[in-house]
Formats: sequence, structure tokens, C-alpha cells
Amino acid sequence: MSFTGPLSIITLVPLLSGLILLVLPNVLPNDVSMRMKASVRNVAIGLSSAIFLLTTLIFIGTIGQIDWLSIGMGDYVLETEDPVWLIESIGVTWHLGTDALSFPMIWLTTLLIPISMLVQWDAEDGHSFHSLLLIMEGALIGVFVSLDLFVFYIFWELTLVPMFFLIMIWGGEDRKYASMKFFIYTFTASVLMLVGILVMYFNTVADPNYAGTLTGHHFNLVLMTEQSRVDGLITSEGLRHFVWLLLLIGFATKMPSVPVHTWLPDAHVQAPTAGSMLLAGVMLKMGAYGFLRIAVAMFPESTLTFVPLLVFLGMASLVYGAVVCLGQTNLKRMVAYSSVSHMGLIFLGIATMQPLGFAGALFMMFAHGIISPLLFAVAGSFKHHYHTLEIGSMRGIAHHSPFLAGHMMLGWMGSLGLPLLAGFVAEVAIMIAFWMTFGWWVLLPALTLIFTALYYLTSMQKMIFESDDPHTGKLPDTMHDEEPRDVTWHENAGMFVLGALTILFGILPFIFWDMMSAWSTEFIQTYLVHAMNMLEASP
Amino acid sequence: MNEQKNQEWNLLVPLAPAIALVPLLAVMGVEPIDLGFAAIAAPLAMFPVVLLIGQIWNGNETWVSRFKEGGILALSALSVSLIAGLWMVLDFLGAGEKKAHGDPLTWLDFDVLRYDGTQWNIDAGFTNISFGIWLDPISAMLLFVATFLCFLICWFAIGYMTTDDINSNRNHRFFAEFILFSMGMFGMVLADSFLWLFIFWEIMGLCSYLLIGFYYWKESAAAAAKKAFMTTRVGDVFLMVGLLMLYDIYGSLDFAVVFDNPSTGVGEAPVKASELQPALLMLFIGCVGKSAQFPLHVWLPDAMEGPTPVSALIHAATMVNAGLYLVARMVPFVDVDYYGVMGMEDLGIIIAWVGGITAFMAASIAFVQNDIKKVLAYSTMSQLAYIFLGLGSALYLMSTGHRYEGLFVLGGALFHLFNHAMAKGMLFMASGSVIHEMHHAHHELHHHDGHGPHDDHNEHFDAQDMRNMGGLASKMPVTSIAMMLGSMSIIGIPLIGGFWSKEAIIAETWLGALEYEPLLLGPAILAVLTAGMTGFYMSRMWMMTFAGEPKHNAASHVHEETLWIKTPLITLSIVTATTGALLAFFHIGEFFSSKDYSMGFDDLDVTKALQIAFLPEKRALMVVGYVTIALSTLVGPIIAMKVHGGSLKEGQEANVAVSWLVSLSAAFKTIDVSGMANSSLSDSLRKRLHFDDLYDWGISKTIAPMAKFSAWFDANVIDGIVKLVERTSIQGSHWIRTYTTGSTRDYILMAAVGALSIFILIMGVTI
Repeated sequence: MSFTGPLSIITLVPLLSGLILLVLPNVLPNDVSMRMKASVRNVAIGLSSAIFLLTTLIFIGTIGQIDWLSIGMGDYVLETEDPVWLIESIGVTWHLGTDALSFPMIWLTTLLIPISMLVQWDAEDGHSFHSLLLIMEGALIGVFVSLDLFVFYIFWELTLVPMFFLIMIWGGEDRKYASMKFFIYTFTASVLMLVGILVMYFNTVADPNYAGTLTGHHFNLVLMTEQSRVDGLITSEGLRHFVWLLLLIGFATKMPSVPVHTWLPDAHVQAPTAGSMLLAGVMLKMGAYGFLRIAVAMFPESTLTFVPLLVFLGMASLVYGAVVCLGQTNLKRMVAYSSVSHMGLIFLGIATMQPLGFAGALFMMFAHGIISPLLFAVAGSFKHHYHTLEIGSMRGIAHHSPFLAGHMMLGWMGSLGLPLLAGFVAEVAIMIAFWMTFGWWVLLPALTLIFTALYYLTSMQKMIFESDDPHTGKLPDTMHDEEPRDVTWHENAGMFVLGALTILFGILPFIFWDMMSAWSTEFIQTYLVHAMNMLEASP
Repeated sequence: MNEQKNQEWNLLVPLAPAIALVPLLAVMGVEPIDLGFAAIAAPLAMFPVVLLIGQIWNGNETWVSRFKEGGILALSALSVSLIAGLWMVLDFLGAGEKKAHGDPLTWLDFDVLRYDGTQWNIDAGFTNISFGIWLDPISAMLLFVATFLCFLICWFAIGYMTTDDINSNRNHRFFAEFILFSMGMFGMVLADSFLWLFIFWEIMGLCSYLLIGFYYWKESAAAAAKKAFMTTRVGDVFLMVGLLMLYDIYGSLDFAVVFDNPSTGVGEAPVKASELQPALLMLFIGCVGKSAQFPLHVWLPDAMEGPTPVSALIHAATMVNAGLYLVARMVPFVDVDYYGVMGMEDLGIIIAWVGGITAFMAASIAFVQNDIKKVLAYSTMSQLAYIFLGLGSALYLMSTGHRYEGLFVLGGALFHLFNHAMAKGMLFMASGSVIHEMHHAHHELHHHDGHGPHDDHNEHFDAQDMRNMGGLASKMPVTSIAMMLGSMSIIGIPLIGGFWSKEAIIAETWLGALEYEPLLLGPAILAVLTAGMTGFYMSRMWMMTFAGEPKHNAASHVHEETLWIKTPLITLSIVTATTGALLAFFHIGEFFSSKDYSMGFDDLDVTKALQIAFLPEKRALMVVGYVTIALSTLVGPIIAMKVHGGSLKEGQEANVAVSWLVSLSAAFKTIDVSGMANSSLSDSLRKRLHFDDLYDWGISKTIAPMAKFSAWFDANVIDGIVKLVERTSIQGSHWIRTYTTGSTRDYILMAAVGALSIFILIMGVTI
């Protein structure tokens, strides 16, 4: 059966069990429900750890015996063998598969879910909180594994639902506004993307196996990509550009890129720690993933035509995001804008049209997926223990919370691109590719690195350092008379794992880099080189 | 007391397995070149151990007394590196090869597309990024300097750090960061590619940041740490851009590929100077930042906020040499007799000018410093500038085909690097010893006078201010001798350490200026002037500290240091005093000579060295040489003695080795300069020639308002538009709701109007 493959399991099990765990305590009799509520978090973390283990086994080859280096775009592994009709009339199938573009993201998702549970181990109403995280896991993995655009879109929108509730119920003061803004803003953009997807759908040719009985078209991503490679999916150039732009709006809002980024800081500041970690760690990457998978792969000519736009968007996000960071006084807001800034690098990496730049962008997605959850975990713990997010409202964390200070130092350094930490590899790869394609323009992103260092160091100077006295430190007013503490064991454990991975993938990036690099070369050669040759020959 | 000392020696027992490790590896058949991995891995592996154990067992009795809060573990890791380093260097010397390159490991594997005129293809000319160990005379010398000094200064730090109460329960952090730094330094020296050089370079920058900010509660330390990181970051960003350019030109960043033939790039394409020179200039900006040269020099004096061992190791002896090392690596690019690229004369001239300006500027600022560490910091800056000057001349000479002279001054510059690292590392440790004892003496005095033990003794008393010192020659024989020898080496007193190398730099720069390029005349003149100024400020420092009468109560109560502090001072005194002899008797020149770009003392023996120093063939150079000697040996020190000299207090005796100097200074003491100290010139010197103010002003006028404006713009304009859409849509929905009247008649009317308009539209489209 097609619902029992490994990818179906890691998608559906968390989704369904999350739903069950969410609903069951509310329908059972009171005494059973009390006991069940208490154990939900154990079940949830056990389940998500098991899924993480399963994904890791897939990665190291125990399951499926996959040679990750040999798969390019278009070859999918662990593909569902006989796709199952979901809606036969319009050609929707349950069709999953993964490759070097999506797999690191899947692994990252399965990793971040148990860690974010751990970091907010004692969340209020934990039974709903942790089961929502499980639903989130299923939805996020679904986005990365589905090879059917209809199902892809369903999962894409499904991720909004648990996140909406996470912000709405467990968020900060202004959670209502933030959650609404988050939902409506990204939903609107996704609808535009849906229009693009529908246009693509109506341009597919009838396929005997996948076409809908009623419409004669299909949502099959593999076939669509193949059709676009051979004949071009949409023949009219104007329409192609239009569809490309619609897709771009959907994906760029998700990333998010300037100027459609303002939902992010609001959502992050209000979201609970675990929500922020997943939002920054995985949800933002959905944008870059979809952009590569759909927009770039199916419309290479449009992508090449709009390279200047990509460079502009990337540069604006990177530079502007960094400068805005400098002006922030709220820790989480600053970290949120730093995400905008780093996502800009992904656009720049793609715009280089070099395998190295693509691989750098892919690695950036992954590295940022480890580092930014660490940043948000630090910000969340700070809020948890000091009840404030104002930078500079307290001094000398190094004294009161040495572990928190240590994690902060590591995370901040990782994010500003210190060598031998994960972010550097991506940064340097993108820079090299960028110089090759755009020459001296590289000075802009390079100089932005100075700003990045400046805002991170300034915030550390005002928080970790400077406490007037080696033995006391200065506490924020929000503490009242509370005794300052270091992080709790579970926060510490979560941050330790993330920190260790930041170092691990900084020193040994090739664990994921090699497959990303091989995929990028394959991808560009298969889908882009033809268009690039045409473009180079035409002027 | 004796018993306690014996116990201290016992602490070194954990070093035994560490010392045995490298010979064991060698016996097991590890290639000497691969011992480089061990040298890097040992401190890297020990870093988390010290940090975590220290954090978890914080304050544990055994941890504090047996392990010195991690100091012993750090020392054992560094002894692995030291022995591996020595083993590698000796093997390298013995093999007689000029280059040793271990098998590199692939790190990043990727492809590059190039347009070949008809289509885009994968270009195989671009190599992967790999990591391997590279040893040639330059890196061998630096490897010795780095492993030797890291070990000695760690030793010193155990005595220095763990005896100060303020550091207790925090020292594990110090030692962990210290060995992480050492890892960075070893890695940078041994790396076989520009990218890895940069990676370790940044790791050192991080550790420098962390260690400057070690006293995290001090506002000044936190600000200094940030300043150091940011200033070097500015340089590093340009360095990174330089790397990108180099990669684009050569298709690789490995030394083996790039230096194989620097005049051809990817696919044997000839390299143009117009492409290469900007790349090297970008690299040079990085060097300027790291080695604290004008105009990115502002961070180094502030970096003295860190503990003294940090100043000794990072900000004098090792990290700041990284920039020099990278510039020395540029030599093959310009060596036109040996596959160099033609037309790169400007590079050397620019480097020489930066060096000349910095040397002069730093020396002049050092005139007015009263903080003993600040004097040394400016002295470091000035001496590094000398080396830059020498390297700049070398690059210029080689790029114009004067290979012999070029190699000679290159050798001189690198030899100066060696001499300076040894001498300055020792000077900082000696100053640390002084500060340490001043601090303790003051602390004890307060204790006895009943001022209360909890008094913050730092508040009113600055243990680093030389105006509180004086007459210490009688109390601290080892320190005073070490300080004297170190100063002599830095000043360039004939026959001692730095003399040989400085003489070579100045002479060859003058040669270049007089014979080939008048533009070099400026740096050449500045170099001679600086030599005299060095004589003054170094002597001034010694006189203020050790001669004359104690100027503060604490200064008369100091006593000599522990063995932890003395041992490295004695070791380095010997090294400093004898490097000149080493040069001569062990034919070190032969080792440094090579056609593969390294120190250029071809057939240099003691007579030749003496001849070059005192009797050069060209008359003009002889004049320059003697003027330099006169300025640095006579004029500078004598003026310093006139101002700051003086005999010791009645009844105090100094060691014979230094007493002659004290008496000499007393004989010259005549001038009172308090009037001059208030002049506007000395005022602006004290304010470091206003560079810091200028930068602060610039940042507060540009970046700060820009950041504020952007934050406002984002919240009010970009998000404002979003909010506007929100508001209008809410209003719009209210407005639309007014049409939902509930009256059937209205609905029929609307439906009719709608149907009619659709009809008209369709008609219009079809017609």
C-alpha cells in the first residue's frame, strides 16, 4: 500500500496522532482525561524522537539504501510506488518522494520538533501545545515530500493552522493581532501562488496514468517538470512570466523577502519559543524550497529574465534587514530581522546561477535552520527568566546565567558567520559564486557582514557583559525581587543539541553539503543550462 | 614555602602522557607532517573539556588546587602541540626540503560553470576546497614561535591568573579560550590554503574578543572587546572579498596550486596585474586590521583591557603577526624572476607607506603613555609596522626584479617578526609580573592598614600606572633583567636580537628609496626617526618602572614572583639575548634561504651579518646605518635617562646586571619636563591623535541615525502600508455591509444591474 512507505509514515503518523492527542482528552471522561493530559508530552516527544530516528536511518542508508550523491532533480527516492487517487476527477494523487533538496529540510523538521518540545517542556496546557507541534510536524514534512501540487498546497496552508493557534493561545501580549496578521498576510500571498499553480495545471497535457477523469489535467509535479523541460509548460512568454511572478509573490512572502516581510517580526515577537523556532527554522525555508522546486525548475527562462529582480530582492532583504536590525531594541525583533537578512542571501545564491551558489543557498537553508532556532531558544529563555526582551534592560547575563550566556555567544557568533560554524560555509559559497557572476557588487553583501557583526556584538555587549560589579550584575525592572536563575535543564539540553550541531556542521559541512552540491550541479545542468545558452547566444 | 613549591611541581604530572603522545605517534608511523593535525586537534579537543568541567565543577577543591581550574589541562594540550611543532620543525630542517605538504582532505566539493563562448560548461579548472598541512621556512618559523610562546605564556598564566581572587571560579573560561586561540594560531600557520588561513584567522579573532572581554563586568573591557572585533571585522570582510577574487583568478585557494605558477590562472590563462593587484590589496586591508596598522589601528591599545597573558600572547606575540604572515605569503605573486606577475610595484609601495606611517605614529603616541601596557601596545604597533615596511620593500624590490635585495629584506622582516615576538611576549609577561606584584603589594598594604579587606582596591590605585612605580630594580631582579633585555632587543641595541633584523629592514628600504623608487623615501625617513623614538620610549618605560625611587607606597613593598612567573621570563631572556648568536653560529641563514620565497640570508654567516650591519658596501647605507644606531642607542635612551632616570632609594641594591643601567641613568638625570607634558601636542598624543574620536563621531553621524531611520521606516512606512490595507479592507467590508439591506427589492435591482453589465461586457468582447 502506498500509505505505508517511510515518507507516508513520517508525514501521517505525527499528523494523525497529533489530532488524536489534541481531541481525545477533551472527549474522554474527566479522570481519564486528567491522566492523559499529563502524559501527552511524553507521548509527543517519544513519537517525534522516533520519527527523527527513522529519518536519520533513512539518511545513513539503513532504510532504503539510498546513495544520496547520485540523485538529481527529477530523480526522487522513496517515491510512493503506485500513487493513490485522492480525487480522481481532477487528478489529485497521494504521491510522495524526496531528493537532496527536500531531504535535509525533512531531517531538520524532525530534529527541531522534539527540540522545540524540549525547550518548552513545561508549557501551560502542554497537552494541546505539544500535540499542536506534532500536527505542525506532519504538515511541514508534507510540504517537503508531496510531489502533487494539490497536496503540496494543502499542506502548505495546513502549516498555518497549528502555527496560528500556537501564536494565538500561547503568544505574548499582542498575540491576537500578530496571529491574524500572520495568517491573513501569508494566506493572501499563497492564494496568488495557487492561481499560478492552477494556470500551470490547466496547461498540463493529458497523461494516461495521472490525468483527472473530468478535467484531463494533473497536478503531478514530476510530470509537470518533465513537460516543462521538454516542451515548455506554458508556451506564451507573457503568461509564463505572469505565472512566475505569482509564484514569486507566494514564495517571497513566505521567505520572507523585503518588502513583504513585516508579518514576520510581529509573528516572532508574539509567538511562543517553540513556535518561533519552527517558524524561523523550517517555515521560512518552505518559500525557498517551493521557489526552487516549482518556479525555477519549471520556468528557467523566466527565472533568468528576472535575475535582476532576484538580486534586487535578495540585496534589499540582506542589506535593509541588517540595517533595520541595528535599530531594534527588542531582542526577538532583532533576531527576526536577522532572519530576513539571511534569507536575502538565499535569493542571492540562487541568482548567481552557479552550482556553487545554489549549493550555498541550500546549505544556508539548512544552516539557518539550525542556528535561528538556537537564537530564538536563547531569546525565549531570556524572556522566560528575565521577563523582558528589551536589549540593555539588564547587564551581566554572564554572571547570573553562564549557560544562557554561552549559548547566546555561540548562537550569535554562528549567525554572524563565524568560520567553523554552520553559517559560514553557506555564506562563503554564496559569496564566491556571487563574485563570479556579479563582480564588484559583492561588496554590498560583504559590507553587510560588518553590520551583522555590529548588531550582534552590540546586543551582547549590552546583555552578557557590563555589570558594574563582578558579583552582582544589573537586573531588569521586570524581575521585581525575583532571584535570577540560569536556564532550566530542558532548555539547556535543547540548546546544547542545537549548539553542538552548529559546530558539527560547521566543521564537517560535507555531511549534507556533498549531496546538496551534487544536486545543484545536476539541477542546473538539467534545467537551466539550456536556457542559459539560449540567453547568452541571443543578445 | 619550599614544601608548597614542591607540591606545585607535582601538578605537572598530568603533562607526562601529553608529552609522551607525540613520540608515540611518531613511533606508530605517523608522518611528521601529519603531526600538524595533532598540534591542532589537541587544544581543540581540550577546549570543551576545560570549559564544561570548569562550569560543572566550578569551585571544586581538587579542580582548583590540582588542576589550577583547567590551567594544567590547557598546558598539557599545549605541550602536545609544542612537541609536535618541534618535531615537525626539526624533521623539516633535517630533511633539507624547502616545502612539505601533507595530503589534503576534501572539505567542500562543488562545481563551477563557465561560458566558453558557445555554451555553459562545468569548468574543471576550479578545484574543491580542501584542508591540509603546509610547511615551508616561513610557516616553520612561525610554528615554532606559536607553539613555544603559547606553551610558555600558558605556564605564566597559571601563576598569574590563579593567584588573583577576582578570577577565581572564572579561570576555566580563561584557559578554555586560551587554548582555543592556540588552536586557531597553529591552524593558521599550518593551513595549506588561503581559505583555511582565513578560517583560523577568524577563530583567533573570536578568542581575542572573548579574552579582551574576560573581565566582562567592566564597561571598558566590554567596549574594547567589541571594538577589537568590529575593527578587525572591517578588515576581514575585505580580506574575504580578496579571497573570492583570488579564487576566481586561480580557480583554487590552495598554496600548492596558486604558488605553483602565480602567473597563470584557471586553464593556464595569463594573470593580469590589473586583476591580481586589487585582490592582493583587499587581502592587505585584512592584514591592516589584524595587525593593527593605520588606519585600523584603534583597537589594539584598548585590547590591553584583557588579562596580561592575553596581551602577551594574542596582542603582541602571535595573532597580530597573522597579517604579516599573510603579506609574506604574497611574495610569490610579485617575484618576477620566478613566475611572478609583472607590474605590481604599487602594492609594495603602499604597504611600505602604511608601515612607515604607523611606525612613526605609534611611536609618537607611546611617548606620552603612562600605562605600562599601553606603552607596550603602541610599541607592538610600531614594531609590526617596521615589519610591514620591510615586507613592503621586499615586495617592491622583487616586483622590480631586484631579487637578491628583496629576499634579503624579506628575511630581515621575518627575522624581525621572530625577534619581536620573543621580546614582546617576554616584555608583556614582565610587565604582567610587575602589575601582579604591585597589585598584591597594594592589596596587602590595605589589608594591614585596616582599610577593610572588602575595599575595592582597584578604584583608587592603578597597578599599571608607571607613575606609581619606580625603584623596582632592587625588588624584582628577574623581571628587571628580562625587561631590560627585551627593551634592548626592541630598541635595537647592537648585537642584541632585534638589532640585526631592524638594521636589515632600514638599510634595504633606503637602498630601494635611493636607487630605484623615490616614493620609498618617505617610509625610509620615518623608519630612521622611529628608531630613535623607540630608543626613547622603551628606555623611558624601563626607567620609570625600575630606576629612581618608589613613587607609591605599594612600589616599595613588592617582592619577587612565583616560579610559574619566573620560569618563562628566564627562558625568554635567554632566547632574546642569544638570537643574534643563534643567527651566526647555527647558520640559521641557510635555513631561511631558499629560492622558494623565504628568508633570504643566502650564505649569511656571522662575518657577513656584521659586515652588512656595520660596513655595507654602499656609503649612503653606511651613513643611514650609523645614524640609526646613534639615534636608537644613544640619543633616545639618553634623553629618556635625562628625564626619567634616577638612583635607587638609599640602601637598596640592584642586581649587577641592571645596576649599571640605574647608575648610568642617575648620572644623566637633569631635566624636568612637566611643562612640556601640558603642551597641546602631548595632549593630542594622549588622545591618540583623535582617531578614536573621529571614528566615534563618524559612526554616530552615519550608522546610528541610519539604523534609527530604517527601524522607523520599516515600522511606519512598509508596515504602515500593510496596516493601511488592513484598515481600508475593514472599512470596505463595513461599507459593503451597508448594501446588505435585507430588502428583496434591492437585491433584485442589483441582480438586474449585474446581469445587464455582464451582458454588455460579453457583447462588447464578441463584437
